[in-house]
Amino acid sequence: MICSINSAAQRRFVRSSWIGAGLVVVLTALAAVAVRVAHLHGPLVYPVAVLPALPIIWVLIETGRYLAEEKDEFMRNLLVQCLLGGIGGTLAVTTVWGNLEHFAGILRLDPILIYAIFWFCAALTYPVVYRRYR
Amino acid sequence: MKNRLKVLRAERNWSQGDLAQRLEVSRQSVNAIETGKFDPSLPLAFKLARLFGLRIEEIFEDGESAS
Repeated sequence: MICSINSAAQRRFVRSSWIGAGLVVVLTALAAVAVRVAHLHGPLVYPVAVLPALPIIWVLIETGRYLAEEKDEFMRNLLVQCLLGGIGGTLAVTTVWGNLEHFAGILRLDPILIYAIFWFCAALTYPVVYRRYR
Repeated sequence: MKNRLKVLRAERNWSQGDLAQRLEVSRQSVNAIETGKFDPSLPLAFKLARLFGLRIEEIFEDGESAS
């Protein structure tokens, strides 16, 4: 955010985001070890494969919760603008990549990266938004 | 939207932080409203008006009506 953390809702959102990011890393590593090293197979593979996606879904829900609970409309507005930047950037990147895949035969974009691209684009939007309200 | 927040705040010797605390918003919100870069919602505009004991139109200037 543009500034220091001001509200309880913002504190919870930031905490959830960090915990979520940490859980994604840990669970992805665990899933990789389970499947590639321990050669887990059969029906158990499915829940293990889905496990790293759960914290991502949780962070998305927490983002919605923050927008619902944040009383400061200006701060809410800033996050919405960053999220829109993230959505627009993700659509732009994946569309360009898709065309390159189709017509230039470049490597396929792994959908697992889309969430990271979204937050990367949202983070890139931040300085633009920041400059507007400085 | 132009407004008289800075003047009204200065008359009461309040910092942006003081006003933010009274409005229960961030200092950045007050700064953005004061500089006309962010238009507050109607409930926040009413809150400001109540705080300063004025009517909304005495704080905010509608660009349309000025012309």
